[in-house]
Amino acid sequence: MTVAQRTYLPQVIQGMFVTLRHLLKNLVNIKKLPTISYPEVKRVYSERFRGRHILTSREDGTTRCVACYMCSTACPAECITIEAGEDQRTREKFPVRYDIDLLRCVFCGYCVDACPEDAIYMTRDYEMAIDTRARAVVGLRDLVVPPNFPVEPMGWRPYYGDMDKHGTAGGTGLGQPLRSAPYEDEAAPNPDVYRGT
Amino acid sequence: MSTLTKFSPIPYTGPAPTNREPYVPAEASKMDARGAEIASKVGGLAQETGQDLPTFVVEKERIVDVLRSLKNDLQFTLPLECFGVDYPDRAKRFDVVYQLYSIANNERVRLKVRVGENENIPSSAPVYQGLDWYEREVFDMYGVKFDGHPNLRRILTHENFQGHALRKDYDPAQRWLLTEEGVAKIIPKIDPRFEREESDSDYERVTLNLGPSHPATHGTLRVVVTLDGEKIVGADTEIGYLHRCFEKMSETHSYQQVIPFTDRLNYCSAIINNVGYCMTVEKLLGIKAPERADYVRLVLSELMRIGDHLICIGTNLVDMGALTNFWYLFQPREEMYGLIEACCGARLLPSYLRIGGLAVDVPPNFLQLTQNLVSSMPRYLNDVDKLVRTNRIFRDRVEGVGPISAQDAIDYGFTGPCLRACGVPYDVRKASPYLGYDTYDFDVPIADGGDTYARYLVRMEEMRQSLRILQQAIDRGLPSGPVMVDNPYVALPPKEKVYNEMESLIYHFKLIMHGIQPPVGETYFQVEGGNGELGFYIVSDGTKNPYRVRARPPCFSIYQAFAKMITGQTIPDAIAALGSLNIIAGELDR
Repeated sequence: MTVAQRTYLPQVIQGMFVTLRHLLKNLVNIKKLPTISYPEVKRVYSERFRGRHILTSREDGTTRCVACYMCSTACPAECITIEAGEDQRTREKFPVRYDIDLLRCVFCGYCVDACPEDAIYMTRDYEMAIDTRARAVVGLRDLVVPPNFPVEPMGWRPYYGDMDKHGTAGGTGLGQPLRSAPYEDEAAPNPDVYRGT
Repeated sequence: MSTLTKFSPIPYTGPAPTNREPYVPAEASKMDARGAEIASKVGGLAQETGQDLPTFVVEKERIVDVLRSLKNDLQFTLPLECFGVDYPDRAKRFDVVYQLYSIANNERVRLKVRVGENENIPSSAPVYQGLDWYEREVFDMYGVKFDGHPNLRRILTHENFQGHALRKDYDPAQRWLLTEEGVAKIIPKIDPRFEREESDSDYERVTLNLGPSHPATHGTLRVVVTLDGEKIVGADTEIGYLHRCFEKMSETHSYQQVIPFTDRLNYCSAIINNVGYCMTVEKLLGIKAPERADYVRLVLSELMRIGDHLICIGTNLVDMGALTNFWYLFQPREEMYGLIEACCGARLLPSYLRIGGLAVDVPPNFLQLTQNLVSSMPRYLNDVDKLVRTNRIFRDRVEGVGPISAQDAIDYGFTGPCLRACGVPYDVRKASPYLGYDTYDFDVPIADGGDTYARYLVRMEEMRQSLRILQQAIDRGLPSGPVMVDNPYVALPPKEKVYNEMESLIYHFKLIMHGIQPPVGETYFQVEGGNGELGFYIVSDGTKNPYRVRARPPCFSIYQAFAKMITGQTIPDAIAALGSLNIIAGELDR
């Protein structure tokens, strides 16, 4: 260590300048602060975000899921419970019960990859706070969305190959907008958040 | 045209795996030749041919002699690990496997000792200090007793645990409750340097628990120290508080399903764990991920390595009272996680890789985002470096704190930055390059002293080297092509084929329901993790679930030496040293 380094003061002052520079920079660019005032402002995640699941529906309002158990087989956390039923008229299988235990779920997206029916998607909804464990188990009532539900800007979903169209990097903070529009300014209701009836 | 998987409309014409084929490693003949050479120099080795490393079966009576001559005559100085494998149908049901590495010759060797259910085996802890904990783990998980072991008690499970969890006949549904009385009463052994008569001092010695839930331990680590005044005169460590049965769970899940579990080993650099695991299985399958996937794996590995070091340095400085640096370092880390999230939809636990490639292709602006990161990162690093490197307050806190000599470090099985901080330039990326690391120009930073300051310097420089690698990678550009192998027995077909073609739907169904079925055999593959050599040893019995998955956690060896490193120092020194080792409990306890 040099003499200057051995006496504390020059180093301390030099350090102060670094912090002062940051302080001034942040004061000038107060709009570009890296922190977000959550929950007033929410962060936008990319179109691949693996959040809470939904089950999509066909045009006629029936759920696309055919209770084939592929998702529950692929699930490494064993959080999906399915009971299959059979439509007496069409002889189609459909889920009588479809429960996802969100406390067990590790949000790996394997269920979406495994689904051969385009039935399960993951949304960008990450606000899943609950007050009891029982409410963490979401069933058909919470998961199934109405027909023609807008899935386009949603989270992890089956990709049809063309990556240029899908999967733009949403909010990385790197030249992309880090923050969403303030909550109250949002024109359309957030399509990602659907909580049944 | 799909960039996901180039998938031909005609059915796959390659061979279908019949799931009882033996695994023949590519390098088997070379390894057999080298094995024969070693066997001629060291007595008592029965060679097992056709393996990916020179492999020998050793009689249990001879194991200590064999290890000693391998260490002294053939320079296998670094004990990588020791673990068990259970084959209940065999007369001698357990394999105790030792893996050693020679830094001088850059080669590995694997020794197997076969033991029956109630047989003891001589402890090799006197030969390699680093095997102490590994033997305790084998005892804990398989019940194999080691004669002459200094401290043979359970390590990952608790004292009231009954049975041995990794035995194939252990029922994992059992629950064992640890009561107050059962908790180990750890009384650290006083270091002989500090032995004294009780009447020598006016002060009483105090035994103090640091952790398991202490803000400075960054995870659930328990250190018991005996203090004489402020000086630590004896220390002992206890681990296992975050044991989540990674290895046992892997045996009941398919090969693809293990990937999310590997995320949770070293959760600060999850992608590197994914890379290590996936490449091990790919080695077992004899496939290679496409060029584009390898490129992305390399870029994300290096980013994750930077993230890992950022956390280590940041939290280490917080422990020493320098909070500002933590914020400067966490900003680039946050942006890095933004990039990971843009690739795969999750930040900390990405599960991005799949066996045979990547889950999905990277976003179109991937290189641009990486370039932004690489360009902005040095600013943050320089800020922190300016604040602390020559700052005397920091230097006084870290110089000479938690030192370990190079010889001890090797003997304990240190790898990674902690070993390089002792001046030993061992880096898996240089010693046995993977993912094309040999085509990149980078240096392996080393430092002298092996103390906390040296570890800081090494980590700081390593981040800069990683940035160098990243810059070169960006300059080369993203290779075109698919990101997943074109093999329907490994890779899921793209969704549009699944929806529209019978053939693809069947492959899809088979792969989800019956999984990947590698040939019968065993293999080991290592990558350079954030903390050192991260290796996976996988035994396949040809079914969809791995027979045994063993992760070689670099923290395990490093944390083992911690008690020794802090003896003779003070509590604040111990905290500073612990932070600089970057012990990740998820990896330590698995």
